Amino acid sequence: MAELIYTPAYGSYDFGPEHPFSPVRQQMAVDLLVSLGHRPHWTEPEPATRADILTVHDEAYVAVVEAVSAGESVPDLESWGLGTPDTPAVPGIDPAVRALVGGTLAGARLLSEGRATRVLQFGGGLHHARAARAAGFCVYNDLAVAIRHLTANGLWVSYLDIDVHHGDGVQAIFYRDERVQTISLHESGQYLYPGTGEIHELGEGMGRGLKINLPLEPFTPGESYLEVFEQVVPPALQAFRPQVLVVQAGADAHFDDALADLALTTQDYERLFRRILELADALTGGRVLFTLGGGYSLHAASRVWAILYLVVNDLPVPETIPPAWAEKWAAHLGGKPAATLHDPSPAFPPLARRDEIVSRNRLVATRLLDALAPYWF
Amino acid sequence: MLVRDIMTTAVITIGPEATLGHVCEVMQARNIRHLPVLEGGRLVGVITDRDVHGGSTKLCFTPSQPEGLVRDAMAHPPKTAHPLDPVEDAARTMRALKIGCLPVLDGENLVGIVTGIDLLDALLRLTGVDKASGRLELRLADRPGGLARLTALIAERQLNIHSILTYPEGTGLVRAVLRVNTLETRPLAEALRGAGFEVMWPAEKPWRS
Ligand SMILES: [Zn+2]
Repeated sequence: MAELIYTPAYGSYDFGPEHPFSPVRQQMAVDLLVSLGHRPHWTEPEPATRADILTVHDEAYVAVVEAVSAGESVPDLESWGLGTPDTPAVPGIDPAVRALVGGTLAGARLLSEGRATRVLQFGGGLHHARAARAAGFCVYNDLAVAIRHLTANGLWVSYLDIDVHHGDGVQAIFYRDERVQTISLHESGQYLYPGTGEIHELGEGMGRGLKINLPLEPFTPGESYLEVFEQVVPPALQAFRPQVLVVQAGADAHFDDALADLALTTQDYERLFRRILELADALTGGRVLFTLGGGYSLHAASRVWAILYLVVNDLPVPETIPPAWAEKWAAHLGGKPAATLHDPSPAFPPLARRDEIVSRNRLVATRLLDALAPYWF
Repeated sequence: MLVRDIMTTAVITIGPEATLGHVCEVMQARNIRHLPVLEGGRLVGVITDRDVHGGSTKLCFTPSQPEGLVRDAMAHPPKTAHPLDPVEDAARTMRALKIGCLPVLDGENLVGIVTGIDLLDALLRLTGVDKASGRLELRLADRPGGLARLTALIAERQLNIHSILTYPEGTGLVRAVLRVNTLETRPLAEALRGAGFEVMWPAEKPWRS
């Protein structure tokens, strides 16, 4: 069983109908669970306070977000990463993002106070936000605020980021911190936003060797992803021996994603979630906090996150989806078949470059392990 | 990018009357491979680790001696660069002559040195990612206006271009690699294709074609 954290207030983190980071994504997932006969019971979190935000973010930046949120005009807004097409300056953004941060922080508190072991925060995952800058749809970094709470309570944290984009904000905030290991698997920055997450980014000072990046080839299929995950993630966790695992479970590594190029199926995601739970059971006494993240195919993200909910609750993953759900959300599904939680098998024709992609990913994982070896032994 | 942006300004030099044994010591102690030779404050040559080591093996017909003089082993007159030379000019000269450094002269004054390592650093700066951004790669016809139309279309979408790298590809074509401050490069690529551009990356997904 897992604690579920959610509030309809998450829906206010919304940059408008044209923007891909839409709260419809988790609404569709919750509704999918309901249509599958579940009654998800959730705890509604308090919004994060200003003081909570200041544990990670610079006060000058927070003041800018508050001003924007109140509808005031701020000079040189773009130097703060706001007012861009990716992260528009919208009124009310400060309380909206604090609702999401509050949820992830509430999850961290459940863990630090020993009141839960498995927590699913059904929102958040704003991994691109920096201490003094918005970026890539992310205004405040809920993950960093939660991780800071955990380390302030004496817990060592491994942060695992399976979003298709590099978890650059979280990595930067803890780059010198010896209590936080960050592990990000993502499409290579050579091809995808934000451009970073190369294997030579290993951390600095006391944090050296604890920042781990596995950049993957475009169109990497699930079996290659899971293979290099297995090569790198279990030994990395074993080397660090964290007390808590925080997982950013972005659904944008799915092959149908509109903004990225990896090729996971919902079956691959299910395997990945099960494996992460196994690792948490073996290494952190089961203590794990999942958040959502990116996911720009509503069709894929809603099914991936419904599967996440079922897996963390040890519930069976059924095959078929009641037609009523697909009818209700038809406008968002873009005519894609939505009769099953799993993707068709095979989900797409064989990839011409498959062997090259598989061996390239293996090589990169091996180079990464070579770079890490001096810090582990 | 100009030579003055990438050159090393704290230049270690040596005199023409120094011995090769001494040159060898300086190069090892400072971990460098090139020494401009100054006589009376004026640049008269360049001596490299190859000038020293090439003669230091028994396999060489005329082995140099530790007491040999810089004056007799150095390359002169030296090829030089000016601080305002474009970096690519320095690179072209070094590549054409297969040499590893260019002393930088402002008039008669030695103000810096550019080595192959500095050029590699420049390459990393030109291609590197210092701001979160997405990558676009296009093939353009090599005639006036193409790049301007491209950047105008991007600016119309309120996007900011962090860097542009262009290089010729075959005849009449130019490859352009842009870093743009957006996560949404796929929709941007679609729009550019719609406007008639040949977008190489982001590519169509193989299972969509
Ligand atoms: Zn993402």
